[in-house]
This record gives sequence, structure tokens and C-alpha cells, in this order.
Amino acid sequence: MSLKITALVEKARDGNRPSFQDLVTIFQEDIYRLAYYRTFSQMDAEDLTQEVFEQAYRKLNSLNDPQRFRAWLYSIAVNRCNDFLRKRKYMALLQMRTAQEQDFMATGKDMNNSYNDKIEKKRFWKQVKTMLHKLSSMERQVFTLRFMDHRNINEIASILDKNESTIKTHLYRALNKVRGEADFFKEYRESLS
Amino acid sequence: MKVENHTHLQDEQILWAVIDESDLARHAQEHLRGCPVCKRKVEQFRYELRDFGQKASLAVPPFSRPVRLPREKPAAGSHNVGWLPVFGAAAMAAFVVFFYFMGMETVAPTQFASLQNQENLLEDESLMREIAEIVEVPLPADVYAISGDNETGFYEGLYEISGDDGTGFAEDMDEINGDNGTGYDEDFLEFVVPDIQDDFQSEFI
Repeated sequence: MSLKITALVEKARDGNRPSFQDLVTIFQEDIYRLAYYRTFSQMDAEDLTQEVFEQAYRKLNSLNDPQRFRAWLYSIAVNRCNDFLRKRKYMALLQMRTAQEQDFMATGKDMNNSYNDKIEKKRFWKQVKTMLHKLSSMERQVFTLRFMDHRNINEIASILDKNESTIKTHLYRALNKVRGEADFFKEYRESLS
Repeated sequence: MKVENHTHLQDEQILWAVIDESDLARHAQEHLRGCPVCKRKVEQFRYELRDFGQKASLAVPPFSRPVRLPREKPAAGSHNVGWLPVFGAAAMAAFVVFFYFMGMETVAPTQFASLQNQENLLEDESLMREIAEIVEVPLPADVYAISGDNETGFYEGLYEISGDDGTGFAEDMDEINGDNGTGYDEDFLEFVVPDIQDDFQSEFI
């Protein structure tokens, strides 16, 4: 898979559009999820995914090492999301309705899902937000990349442009906070007592 | 498997083990390998974190809007220049404003100096004009009024006062002085400049 990605990146850098389209197909859902974990809004996450790939397409020539494509793409996505969240904070100050609220108000979407399923998802994300809210910005970034985006320490260090020991320290602090607070890790807490 | 160290791992060591087992001290790593209790704790937390990640992934609404690429790829080495025109315009405006004020500061003193020079010149000119008027008409206008003369007929007025017509005055004076009309009195001239023969000093030469 890694070799295939590298080959596609090399071709795309040479101007081969279908190769980049293949890369989009491989990564678009990962990037969409990454954006959703940070925005909690389908509309915003989809918009951000589109923007991330547009930016990646424009700047592909600036990527020196094709093997770093995944980390490079994720770093674009993380930065885009951070910019978006910053902007949304200002918009909230101006009391403008965000896409997150519009998603919440939208009816008729996700008709395939049962009512209970929707309620359960809503409750799940509420708990996630509560849990992540207790973390600092960096702890949240690291925790989300490690346990929600399933990136390893080395990749996270590359994405956030930090060294591995810094990432581990932030991760340790994040785990130390969430293990006591979140409902997700009840059994682990019980095993400690 | 025999457990060499019977002291179980601390909570923080469990967390470090969840993150990366190789970061634990050697004896802690050995304990973890041999202790089912500590191993279970680490595995339990890892499982729950993994489960959390999977739940999160499943709870994300389906991706419904596939990415569409821009029509044309920009030339190699190019970058997003959307901000450049705005930045350029702002820089140009700042440049113009800066040099406008700089110009005010630098040019203004010379302008002031030239204005001062012009004022001085005007002052000099008016002074010169005044001097010229004084030279031309030395007495105040009141004197001319008293004398009943205009500016140019001053001497004529004086002739009138003296009862002369203005033309025979000098002749009368010549007659009084015994002048022959050449303008010099020969006796007087002789007295002032004695003839060289009469000069006693010349005898010694």
C-alpha cells in the first residue's frame, strides 16, 4: 500500500491528474473523519476535506519526499481545521449560526439511521466533546491523532512537526486526564481499583 | 512464566506502557512481560481506547460529497498568490503615504527658505524703490506744497522766489564775480595754481 501511494504521488507530481484522483479516493474519508472529529459538523468537515485536497493538489510540488505524503496531507488537514476552528470562534462571538448548529437542526438527513441510533450518536459526541474539552489544545491534537485518527507516534511527530518525546509527554498528560473523567474507560478504572 | 519483580507497576507506568512499552525502565518492562495483572491493565486500557476510536469512526456521518479537483494544475513551483495583490496594494499605499510625509519633511524647509528669500527680495526691492524716490524727490511733499511747486519745478520756484526768470541767474552771478563765462575766474585760478615762473621753489631747481 505504501509503495503504491509513493508511486501515485510521484506520478501526480509529474502532472498526472488521475494519479492524484486515486490518492483522493484513498484518503478522502480519512481526512473527512479527521475534520469531523474537530468540527463535529458534517457540512464543515466536507467543505474542509475539499479544501484540503485542493491545497494538496496545488502544492504537491513542494513535497520533497513522496513517502511522507500521508503525514504531509494530514498536516495540511490539521492546519486547515485549526484555522477553521479559530474562525468559527470569532463567528460565534458575532453570534452567527454555524454549520454545526445547522446540522443539529437539520431533519430528514440520515434517514437510514434509526431514531435510537441518532440519539446514541448524539450522546456519544456530547461525551467526546466533554472529554476533549478537558484537554489542552496540544493534548487534544495528540490524543485525537493517536486514538481517533489511528496515527502512530512517529507520524504524529511528523504531522505536528514536534519530536517524539514531546508527543509522548502530551499523550501521557491527555491519558492521565481522560482515564479519570470519561465514561469510555470505566472498565479500565474498575480494574485499577 | 516466573515474575522476577513482584511489585506491580504504578498507574503512571501503566499509562507509559499504553503509550510505548519501550519507554519503561528495563525492570518494569520485565515485570510487565511476566505479570498477568499489570498486563491485563495495560491491555484493558488499550482495548478501551481502540474501542473508543472505532465507536468514533462509526459515529461519523457518512461522507456524501466526494472531492472534486480543480480543472488545471498550476505550474510547478507556483503557489497560492491570492493574497499577493492585496499585499502589493497595501504596500504601495504605505509606500506612497510614507514618501508623501517624508517629502513634506524634507522639501518643506527648502520651500520655506525660498519663500523667505522671496520676501527678502521684495523687501529689498521696495527699499530700493524708496531710495530711488528719495533721490529723485529729496524733500517731503509738504515742502513742495508750501513752495507751490510741483516736484519737477523746484528750481524754477526758487528762481521765482529770487525774482529771476531762471535763465539769467548765472549770468548775473558771472557779472558779480567778474567771470567771463568760461566758468573760471582767472585771478582766482592763478592764485590757487601759481605760474611756475612765480613759484619761488622752482628757483632752486
